Amino acid sequence: MGSNSKMNFLKTVNHEQPDRLVVDFGSTGVTGIHVLIIEKLRDYYGLEKRPVKVTEPYQMLGEVDNELIREMDIDVIGLFGAKNMFGIPNENWEQHKTLWGQEVLFPGDFNYTFNNNGDILIYPEGDISVAPCGIMPKSGYFFDALERQQPIDGSGLRLEDNLEEFGLVSESELNYWKKQVDSLRDNDKAVMASLGGTALGDIALVPGLNLKNPKGIRGVAEWYMSTLAREDFIREIFERQTDIAVENLRKIFRVIGNRIDAAFICGTDFGTQTSTFCSPETYASLWLPYYKKVNDWIHRNTTWKTFKHSCGAVEQFIPLFIESGFDIINPVQINASGMEPQSLKNKYGDKIVFWGGGVDTQGAFAFGKPQEVKDQVKRQCEILNKNGGFVFNTVHNIQANVPFKNVVAMLEALKEIK
Amino acid sequence: MDDILNQIAICVEAGKINKTSPYPPSMKDQDGADELARKALEQGCKPDDILEKALIPAMANVGNKFSRKEIYVPQMLMSAKAMSGAMMHLKPYFQSGETKRKGTFIIGTVTGDLHDIGKNLVSMMVEGGGWEVIDLGVDVSSEKFLKALSEKPDAVIGLSALLTTTMENMKKIVADIKAKSSTSKIMVGGAPVTQDYCNKIGADFYSPDPQGAVNYLNQLAK
Repeated sequence: MGSNSKMNFLKTVNHEQPDRLVVDFGSTGVTGIHVLIIEKLRDYYGLEKRPVKVTEPYQMLGEVDNELIREMDIDVIGLFGAKNMFGIPNENWEQHKTLWGQEVLFPGDFNYTFNNNGDILIYPEGDISVAPCGIMPKSGYFFDALERQQPIDGSGLRLEDNLEEFGLVSESELNYWKKQVDSLRDNDKAVMASLGGTALGDIALVPGLNLKNPKGIRGVAEWYMSTLAREDFIREIFERQTDIAVENLRKIFRVIGNRIDAAFICGTDFGTQTSTFCSPETYASLWLPYYKKVNDWIHRNTTWKTFKHSCGAVEQFIPLFIESGFDIINPVQINASGMEPQSLKNKYGDKIVFWGGGVDTQGAFAFGKPQEVKDQVKRQCEILNKNGGFVFNTVHNIQANVPFKNVVAMLEALKEIK
Repeated sequence: MDDILNQIAICVEAGKINKTSPYPPSMKDQDGADELARKALEQGCKPDDILEKALIPAMANVGNKFSRKEIYVPQMLMSAKAMSGAMMHLKPYFQSGETKRKGTFIIGTVTGDLHDIGKNLVSMMVEGGGWEVIDLGVDVSSEKFLKALSEKPDAVIGLSALLTTTMENMKKIVADIKAKSSTSKIMVGGAPVTQDYCNKIGADFYSPDPQGAVNYLNQLAK
């Protein structure tokens, strides 16, 4: 009997050669596909033409449903929270037309307005009576946060202000998670869950997109400077946040058990194109202990693998990610400094799983020819899939403007490899 | 005079913004770049000297350290903030013409792109390098760049993009600017941007880091 997706996934994340390459598209908010490409994929596979559900509106990622999972031979499915990044419940879907003319589905409370320039403004919890939290430029393809940093005066910051969005998990949320895993009964795919609450200083979340009146440190530059100028305060935030997170994980585990295979822990980017956002010493002092706290709890109490996303040139951080207890690193930005795939595989291949790195989204995938894409996909898989420890994904989400023939080339290459 | 100029430079390099700023811990409760710049002027220091002998060399050191990966974005932001605090005291002298700057640099993140950390770092480094900076912000169209250029025809232009979806807009903006002003120099930067891309779209210079941008501008100013 051949191995199914879950079996192959478990082999590869335990650094055994899987029987077939393990592939992910859409199981997380950093391994997803833009709604425009989802529509093209559905058309390519001859699936029913219908508006694409925007499952992650900040980046305008579309639903990778069971039909696409089947057609694209995807091995991992994702479970997401009841609300999106703007704090809007993922329910009561309604049809809208995007700025580029595509019909999509947004949740019922996804209330937006237009500014004088024709840009779309989005609001925390869909409440248009408060200041907008995000904007999609009229020529853009996704949202960005609007800065809502309130002046920080001499009277000091309150810990509670930067913990507002990190509360104890509610009964309704626990019921939600139970329903999510119950719906997977008899599913032979691997399951990745984005349970929330465990991201430490993720700059996408620092602005508090789901908060109506965010206080504390909410500006991007202010946060980065605070890691230097307010190090103790940041440390206290992480201490309290991870206490809450572990308590929540304990409760969530009671309802979902080991019916998920991996948990998305954090999306904080530590790398730039050529360098990092802090020194390894700062990471070791400020982040490592708290990541370890969460990862250690998970490893002691569950069979889940732990997933760390970090864009950029993070090669020198990989040993620290391993020490932090992360099992998986994503997106493996292969064109960033020091991130040459063979070198990464040689140094760390038996200690951490590379989830991503399948094709260069800043290079060949966006701007190259289909044959280049095919060749690169095959080469990456050959390097990274040796002895397992690899889940194929593009380097981060598939963007709106990727030539569809390159997407097809990637899928053809994957089909040949599988 | 040299002593206070030296202290200003130390504060900028260390990221010591003002007296109440807790960073760096070793300089707690000491005057920062803000107070020292004010005091320097009160003591009769020439604004030119504050710029040339304190701010510019300090920011050059910061830029070079960043290029060598000895410091990171947070430190650069702190230094840039310290520099800006000092620079506020010099602005009246720029406006009156008493203190001259090397030239004008117009910068913006291109159409459709809202990312600005990198662009802001370049802005601050270039200002600290002695240039007038006109920062057009984010989501900047060809029209806005051209309008700014019409007001400062000798300006050098900088385009920033973080996304593969928006760096393509650089091509149009470069073409539009060159069509109106073929001798204007345009530099490009941002995570997905490369030297090859710069060459392909007809821009004049690419820098992977802020200090590279400053060095290029200084070369043009000679």
